[in-house]
This record gives sequence, C-alpha cells and structure tokens, in this order.
Amino acid sequence: MPVQALVGHRSFLTLLFGTLLVLPAVANQYTLFVGNLMLLYIILALGLNILVGFSGQLAFANAAIYGIGAYGTALLQVHLGWSFWAAAPVGAVLAMVIGTLLAIPALRLSGIFLALATLAFAQATQWVLWHWQSVTFGAGGFRTPSPSFSWFAIKQDYGIYFVSWVTTVTLFLFTWRIMRSRIGRAFVAMRDGEIAAQSLGIDLLAYKAMAFALSSFYAGVAGALYSGLLGYMSPEGFDLFQMIIQKAMIVVGGLGSVVGSVLGAALLVYIMEFLREFKSTQEIVFGVLLVGFMVFQPNGLVVFMKRWLPGWEEPMHLPERPQAISKPDVVEGTTSGDHPVVERT
Amino acid sequence: MLMFSYLMATGITTGAFYGLVALGIVIVYKATEVVNLAHGELFMVGGMLAYTCYVIEGLPYVPSLLLAVAGAFVVGIITERVAYRSVLKHGLASVLVATIGVSFILKGIARYVWGGKGDYLSFPPLVSPEPLQFGNIMIMAQQLVVLVAALVVMAGLALFFKRTRAGKWMQATASNPKAALLCGLRIDRIYMYTFAVGAAVAGAAGVLMAPLTLLYPDVGFVLFIKGLAAAVLGGITSVPGAVVGGLLLGVIEQLAAGYVHSSVQDVVPFLVIMFALTFLPTGLFGVRGLRKI
Amino acid sequence: MKQLASTMGVALAFACMATAGAQAADVPGVTDTEIKVGTFGPLTGPVYIYGKLTMNGVEVYFNKLNEKGGIHGRKLVLVREDDLCKPEGAIAAVKKLIYEDKVFAIIGGGCSNSTLAARPEIEKAGVPFHVFAAVADGIVDPPAANIYTTQLTATIESHAQIQWALDRGAKKLAIVSQHDAWGRSRYEPMLQDLKRRGLQVVADEEVTVDQNDGTAQALRLKSSGADAVMLLGYPKAAAVLIRDSIKIGYKPIWIGQTAIQDLPALQGLIGIDGSLANFVSITTIPGHPDNPQYAEWRKLLKNTFPNDELSVFNLMGIAAAEVFGKVVDAAGKELTREKFLAAYNTIDNFKSSIYPGPITCKGQHKCNQSPAFVKLDNNNVVFAGTVVLK
Repeated sequence: MPVQALVGHRSFLTLLFGTLLVLPAVANQYTLFVGNLMLLYIILALGLNILVGFSGQLAFANAAIYGIGAYGTALLQVHLGWSFWAAAPVGAVLAMVIGTLLAIPALRLSGIFLALATLAFAQATQWVLWHWQSVTFGAGGFRTPSPSFSWFAIKQDYGIYFVSWVTTVTLFLFTWRIMRSRIGRAFVAMRDGEIAAQSLGIDLLAYKAMAFALSSFYAGVAGALYSGLLGYMSPEGFDLFQMIIQKAMIVVGGLGSVVGSVLGAALLVYIMEFLREFKSTQEIVFGVLLVGFMVFQPNGLVVFMKRWLPGWEEPMHLPERPQAISKPDVVEGTTSGDHPVVERT
Repeated sequence: MLMFSYLMATGITTGAFYGLVALGIVIVYKATEVVNLAHGELFMVGGMLAYTCYVIEGLPYVPSLLLAVAGAFVVGIITERVAYRSVLKHGLASVLVATIGVSFILKGIARYVWGGKGDYLSFPPLVSPEPLQFGNIMIMAQQLVVLVAALVVMAGLALFFKRTRAGKWMQATASNPKAALLCGLRIDRIYMYTFAVGAAVAGAAGVLMAPLTLLYPDVGFVLFIKGLAAAVLGGITSVPGAVVGGLLLGVIEQLAAGYVHSSVQDVVPFLVIMFALTFLPTGLFGVRGLRKI
Repeated sequence: MKQLASTMGVALAFACMATAGAQAADVPGVTDTEIKVGTFGPLTGPVYIYGKLTMNGVEVYFNKLNEKGGIHGRKLVLVREDDLCKPEGAIAAVKKLIYEDKVFAIIGGGCSNSTLAARPEIEKAGVPFHVFAAVADGIVDPPAANIYTTQLTATIESHAQIQWALDRGAKKLAIVSQHDAWGRSRYEPMLQDLKRRGLQVVADEEVTVDQNDGTAQALRLKSSGADAVMLLGYPKAAAVLIRDSIKIGYKPIWIGQTAIQDLPALQGLIGIDGSLANFVSITTIPGHPDNPQYAEWRKLLKNTFPNDELSVFNLMGIAAAEVFGKVVDAAGKELTREKFLAAYNTIDNFKSSIYPGPITCKGQHKCNQSPAFVKLDNNNVVFAGTVVLK
C-alpha cells in the first residue's frame, strides 16, 4: 500500500503542483517564465481534452479561442482603460461565448469535417486579428499594461505566477470532479455513440454546447493570464502551430484522461525548452519524439502509467473502438458511384 | 470583361494547384480514413529532390522528375512503416499527431540540407517562361502544365479506383478493414502502398509546381491547407470532387481578390468552407445519408 | 614601522587584486579568455532565414576574429537561442540568455514582433543588445540606453521609397504590402509620411507571404493607373506580382526594400529575363553576394557551413558583427557592460566593409541611416543612386 501511494497519480500531481508552487523561491526568471507557461498549457490541455478526449469533438479552434481570450483581456485594458482584474474575467467569458457558437456546426459535422470547419474558423480569426486594425492593432501587435499587484504587496512576475498557479489547481480540481459526474459521463456517452446517447435521454445540443463552452472558457482563462504574463500581444502566438502543440499535448498525455492532460502539457513544455539544446535540429528531434510517443504509447502516457504503476487509479475514458480497425457500420443510405464494390477473390 | 476573364483564368490555374494537392489527400483518405498532415511536406520533398537532381547535379528533366517521384514514393513507404503502421490501429487523433511529427521531421531535414542556400530556391520551368496568348488574355505556360497534370492524374485515379483490383482493395479496406481482412486482403500492405502512392502524387505535384511556387522548406503548408479545403469541399472521398473543389476554391479566391479587395483573398475560401460545411456537411460530391452509430 | 608599511602595502596590493578579480568576475559572460555573446531569432519555422542565416554570418565573423586571437585576448563565443519568431519564444529565449546562459551582450533579433516583445525584458536586465535583422522602429525608438541597431529601420526605408518615386516624377503612387508584422512596420510609417506630404495612393493592395499568383493584384494596380509601386513584400510575393504584371502587360516603376535586394535571385524567382528592367531596391549590401568583393566571406562561410551559399542574410550578420566587434575592441581590456555601451559613442562615421553608408552610433541608436538603391544592369547589380529625405 505505501508503495502504491508513493507512485500513484496523487503523488505525481502533488509533486508537480508542489514543485511549481515553490518554484519562485528557487528558480531564476527564465525557469519561472517556463513554469508559468507550463501552468497555462495545463489549463489549455485540460480544456481541450474535455472537448476532444471526453466529448469526441475533433475541433481545431482552441488556439483561436485562446487568442480571443488574450486579445479580449488586453484590448479592454488598452481601449477602455479597465484594470487587468476587471478585463480578465470578461475576456474569458467572451472567449467562452464565441467558442460555444462553434457547437452549431458541430451538431451536423464530425471527424475530419468538423476539424476543417473549426480550422476555417481559426484561420478567419487570425485574419480578423491581422486586419481589424482600428481595434486589434493588426499584425504588428501592441504592448499591454502589466497587471497591478499593489493590493498584494508582491512583485509583478511572482504575482502573475501565483495567480496562474491558483487558477490552474482550481480548474484541475473542478475538471476532476466534473468529469466523474453525470456531465462527464454524458460527454463520454456522446462520444461513443450519439444515437445511443440520445436514446439514454442525453440532449446532444445541450451537451455539445456545454463541452464547447467549458473548453473555450478554459482557453479564455489561459488567454487572459497569457496577456498578463507576456505584456505583448500579437497574432502569431495563436496560429496553427499553437493548435498543433496543444493537440499533441493531450494525445501524448492521454485522450479522455484529466491527469493525462496535466502530464502531457507539463511534459511537452519541458521537452520544448529542453530541445533548445539541439538548436537548428530541434524540429527534427521534436518530430521524432512525437512519432515515438505515438508508436510506443498511441493511447497516451497515462495508459503506460496505469499499467505499470500500481497506485495510478484514474477512471479512464479511452475511446473503446479504435477507429481504423472497426469502423461503425452503415445503417442506412446510398453510396455514390465510385464507392466500393468488393470483389471476392 | 477583360478583368473577369483574367480572374477566371487565374482562378482555374491556381485552383489546379489546390486540386492536384487535394488528389493526394483523397487517395490516402479513401484507403485509410486518415488525413496525412505531412502531405505538404511530401510535396516539398518532391520539389527539393528534383531541384537537387536537375539544378545542382545537372541531370535532364525527365530523369529528375522520375527520381523525385520515386524518392517521394520511398519516403511514403518509410513513413508508413516506421511512423504510421502501428498507430493506424488506434484513434484518428493519434494518427494525426504522428503525421504532424513526420511533417516536423521532413521540414527539419529540408532546412538542414537545403536551408542554407538562400531564402527561396528557383526552379526553371519545364516550358518557355514567356506567357502564352489565349484570345485577349495571357497565361503562363507552366500553369497550363499544372492544369493538364491535375486533369491527367484525376482521370488516372478515377480509372484506378473504378477499374483496377488494387483500387477496389483500397476502398474495401477503407470501408471495412475487418471485412477486407477476412476476404484475404493484406491490409497492412494496402495501407503502405496507399501512403506511398499519395506521396508520389504529392512529389509529382511538387516538381511540376516548383517553378511557380518556388522552393523552400515551408512551401507545403499553405498549399496543404488549401488542398485539404478543396478535398473536403469535394467530399473528401471523391476524386473528381477534389479537382472541382480545388478549381472552385481558386476561382472564389480570385474573384474576391479582384472585385472586393486583395486583402480578403486569403479569408474568403475559409468563410466559404465554414458555411458550406455547416449547410452541406458532406461536401459537394460526398456520400449522403450515412448515419453512424 | 617599516614592517607595518610593507604589510600595509602587501595588503593593499592584495585588496587591489581582489577588487580587480571581483570586478572581472562581476561582469556576466566575461572571463580572461572569452566573451559569451548571446543571439536569438528564428532557427526553425518559416522565417528561419532571418535568424539562422544571419547568425551564421555573425559566427563566421567571430571565427575570423578568434583565429587572430580574439579581442584583447578574449575569444567571442556565440550562444544561440530559437525564438520561433513568436513573442512567447523571444521572451523565453532572452530570459534564458540573460539568467541561465549569463551572456555578456546580445547580438540578434530576427523578427520584429518577437524582438519588440522581448525589449522590456532586455531593458530591465540592462544587457547590451545589438539588433542585426529586425526592422521595426519600436525596438530602438524611443531609444533604450542599452539597445542599438545597425539594420536600416523600417521608417527610413519607407520614407526613402516614397522619395525615390517622387524624385523620378511619379504622379500616381501605389502600395503593395504584406500585412504581417514585418509588413505593418513598414506600411504604417509609409502612410504617415504620405499624409505628411499631403499625398494619396491610388491603390493599396495586399499580398501574402505564400501567395502563388498575383494576377488579381496586378489587375487592380493596372486599372488604378499607378506609375510607381512601392513593394513591401518578401521575395516570393514580389516575384509572383512582378511576373503576373508582366503577363498582363503592366510596367510601372517598382521600388523594393531590403528584403528583396538580391536582384539576380529575384529575377531567377520570376523566371523571365529582363523582368527587372524598371526595378530598384534599397540595399544593406551594395553588391551581390556572388561579387568578387565578398570572395573572402564566401570562403570563410564554406569553411564553417559547407552546405550553404553566401546570402545577403549571412552578410547582414557579418556586417552587424563587424560593428559589434569594433565596439568590444573600443571598450578596452577591462570589459564591463557600461564601458561597452559607452564605446558605441566611438562609432562615428565608421566605414563598414559591407554596409553601403557610414555607420554612426554616436548620439543615436539607429546607427545605419543610409539607404542606397541598386538596380540590375546586364545581370549585374549596380548602384542606382541615393535619396535625400525631405
């Protein structure tokens, strides 16, 4: 039993969040900045995993929603003179509202079609950030005021760090609870079969909207903190590369696993900083690592942990029917002319 | 009127780019139900290999083209065997991440090998660089080459999927891998050749388009995004749909740029896709009425 | 008493040595044998040319200095960090250079936005920063005590482009620009300068970095009747636009800037001989990298990077490193950051072996203020003239 308690997911989370909590006391400013990024990416991965891992909606708009949260927060400060503390919640809610609207195409689309529709939304958002010059200051970006911590008597760098830490831990605990509740189970049911879920009395519109709302709220919160951390806003932080990194985090960590989101985000941020040592060849090494993770742990690192570490007891919600092997049957409908007619040999 | 005919002609010639890229995406999707996110990089690899043979080593054009296509084919085989084969058994998201990994690797290698030779590499065109006159408009000869190539590849693939056994095996594998396996199809091998053929088509596109797109490690990205859009617009499993989707995308882009403003050129296709997919969820030539449980 | 005096003397001498030692140890990144110099910019990703290749140039110059024994007996060591051309990456890279690698100074900055984002961090830390490629004025304007640039800044170039058009008697001006961060940093000052002069453009078109066709833009330019087009784009965007303008028979005066100064390469990209007949460009390098005057650099580059060809980006790095080396030299044997920054004042009308005009950091932070124009004549890059900004 003691061994199990030592290596279980609880110890891992305590160790990770504990280390991140004491980091400001021991680390230099570079490490602190990376630690802060790690916290933000954990929030992003938690949110994205709710949408992609638990609810099965393969959306590609999370980076854009993240950008909307960040820009919303920053622009309210710059244009209307709000304080960071007033602007951040509004920015996060703005991101949530826009993100929830993406549930509309998701009602009719799935898989690669949903991916492309949301990708198109993301590209359009980038375009708006570039061209809505009078509001967003265009591609050249703008400086944002630093959040004030005068009420707390703490240096600004540390202030935003601790706010990020508290937010991350709160959102983690919230996610952990909610994914084990009725809502989380409904998400999983919806992912594993929409018609079956409906027949269980799950309102698809409501739950899809809720999945999009939750994940975009997380992205919005992360965006708001990001604007406070960075002090500079420009569109290139929210492009497809950002989206790819987030997606890689949840897949490497484990789709449909709350702890997996944390694990994937923390690991990938660490890896990307570590790869700086490879200088010009870091792209290659990063690619090899991604491929390696997928080849050896295609369902994520949590599967490995669950298998080999005795105390790792997270209830897992892995997709049960891997897609390429057993494709769902076609129950009705016609096929077009060039569809297969299998010849028996 | 002159402006309109120019915009239409340009729309069709750039649309042919997207169509040719889309064709490679469709081949892979038809057999594996996976979009290869490294497709743009395979395109780039084809172009770079041809550049090495033709410009640096001074080989004649046709052997260079063939070597580049063969090279891309081999890269397709290697990536499938090393990176995708075991991942294909798992979810779509895992496969997508594996293909992203491959795209990073290919870009990184290209930057390492060819990246120090300047910002953009120029590739001499197959035909005379002077524009040709058609009625009252002028068209670059190389653009016609790409258009013809797109149509030829399209026709070839349509025949391949309709008439040949291998083509039907591929489709059978996609529509039900388990049943295909039971029928005695070696689905591993089919996947491998599918990725390889997809890569070869990308490589050929890369060589043909290089004089117009120029060559650099990241050339594939935008073309891939537009090609994917064209493929999805065309229903993602339809070979003619890919080309029609590409042409449509090209024409929309040009008309928007010409009559609205050049700043909307890049966003209009995405707006069209967003709305088209919301209201036409299976694309133009897609399979309708399917509902999965 | 005598003994006391000698003891005092020895103690004093020790104290002096101790302070001297402490002083040397206090300067980050400087030892008796080497100076650690940091650099950041994109090493990977689409615009790696502005980072990696420029850094390669810096390294080539440092190698050359080091082979001669370095500066005041210290060798220059370059520490690279990738910023991915993103604000987040640049802030992380700069923090790493300052707090982890503990470099003495930074020579770098490939992308405008990421360098702008990193500026507050650099200013706060007080580490000397020499900009080698990023063009946005905001990096040095308003000036920061520890930041200098030897790159032509966007404003200077944009003003020069307008002046060139007006000097050639152009009546209808047009702008074609990329609306990314790089393009914006040139486009905004260009609009301001036009407004100041009371001028209006007849067409204001946009191209993207990855554009494969420029027919729509060319048609719109042609129908606006513009006789001079200021081209704020990278080589690919410029090449497709000029190619398709030729296709539709439109031939204005094209005025480029330093991103498209490699004219033979640009002509190769367009693929049509004689396509640059009406084209001039601002330059930071007065000749083509293939010219005999750069033979030495070509050779040195090949020694370090055998796969590479000498490009303008390499030369930009070499040129910046030359000035940087000059400043290190002028700062003297007892190198400190304060002395180093003060030594920028000794750079007065410095004749660079690469930059076309004189470099003056004395009293200003934009050290390079001489836009020279080049054109293509019989496939040779030749000096086309200069402008006096009004």
